Amino acid sequence: MPDLPRRKAGIVACSGEELAEGTVTRLAALKVLHELRPGNTVTICLPLFLAGGEGDRAFARFHPTITVDGCELRCAARGTEMYSGKPAASIVVNELAAERGVGKIEGRRRLNEAGKQAVDVTAQKLAELVDQFVGKQDGPEQVAESTVPQPSEAKIATCSCGSEVAVNEVLIAGERVELLALPLIFQHCREKGRAPEAAGEDLLQNVKIYNYVPPEAEASYREAIVREYAAFCAREESR
Amino acid sequence: MSSRKVPVIPCSGIGKSLGSVTREAAYELCDTLRPDRTQLVALSKLVLGEEQARERVRGGFAVTIDGCKQMCAAKLVKHSGGKIAREVAVFEVFRRYKGLKPAGIAELNVEGKQLARALAEEIAADIDEIAEGDIHA
Repeated sequence: MPDLPRRKAGIVACSGEELAEGTVTRLAALKVLHELRPGNTVTICLPLFLAGGEGDRAFARFHPTITVDGCELRCAARGTEMYSGKPAASIVVNELAAERGVGKIEGRRRLNEAGKQAVDVTAQKLAELVDQFVGKQDGPEQVAESTVPQPSEAKIATCSCGSEVAVNEVLIAGERVELLALPLIFQHCREKGRAPEAAGEDLLQNVKIYNYVPPEAEASYREAIVREYAAFCAREESR
Repeated sequence: MSSRKVPVIPCSGIGKSLGSVTREAAYELCDTLRPDRTQLVALSKLVLGEEQARERVRGGFAVTIDGCKQMCAAKLVKHSGGKIAREVAVFEVFRRYKGLKPAGIAELNVEGKQLARALAEEIAADIDEIAEGDIHA
């Protein structure tokens, strides 16, 4: 995987409806997203890895993803790995709760006191992991979303939960093709000081990680990506 | 009358209030309104392909409750080989209850809970038909 800028940690909660611990995962994830680390985190609905499109699945390939599961089935961790990418870290609520001496968690619809305590403990652990993987929000490795220029008419592959990966339509051999993540790839390439005429192979290899490129069409893709990258660099220089 | 419980699968989307409405409606239905006729099935287990969850949805007609147009719950039940008796889209049901504006995700507001209750009551009537065998493939 290329060393692309990593902006935020993705949190995937199992949200299991059958167990109180599933409710703990959901509330802990929301606490981190809305209260503890709002600028550094996004969430992804676990079902979208299967039901959603490539844009949703691409998310965990770009961002360090932390999964939080209620039980030993570890649906979020295993599902994320199956459909997107290996999580950077995983938490299992009933294991963490036992380790921290939390009492019996009950009330899948309305958590008991132990359940509320488990939410706090789990959220704190999640926040520590977020700090570990993405650091402080204004750290030098961060690229704020608003500062990532778009190479052309970009839209965002987004789910109801707010995961976002840019999708651009690019004209390749006379056909309009949607490509994922061009803004980040272009920005990263430019930061490495690559001129368009020398960046073709590097760009193509990065694009191939996140998009399917038919082997017989590689030359056309390379040509189109370099053209887009040159336009991207020109726009950046005129800013 | 069939003794088999009807699987109820909400999407439990975590990003918007309507996802929380699906979850609350499913609890209202399975814990309060029709506990003897319904069985809550965690969507995360279906995502993983957990065999017990798959068996439950393959065993008869299910009810899915989705918060957004992605319809994750419905798609995953079909993907798992299940049949759906009622595919509920909260964003469409919401149009019939425009006075109720759900807000909050971790904790739904009062109107969100009222919407969930109204939704659960609508589905409960369908559950009775399914349980009585009045809905066929």
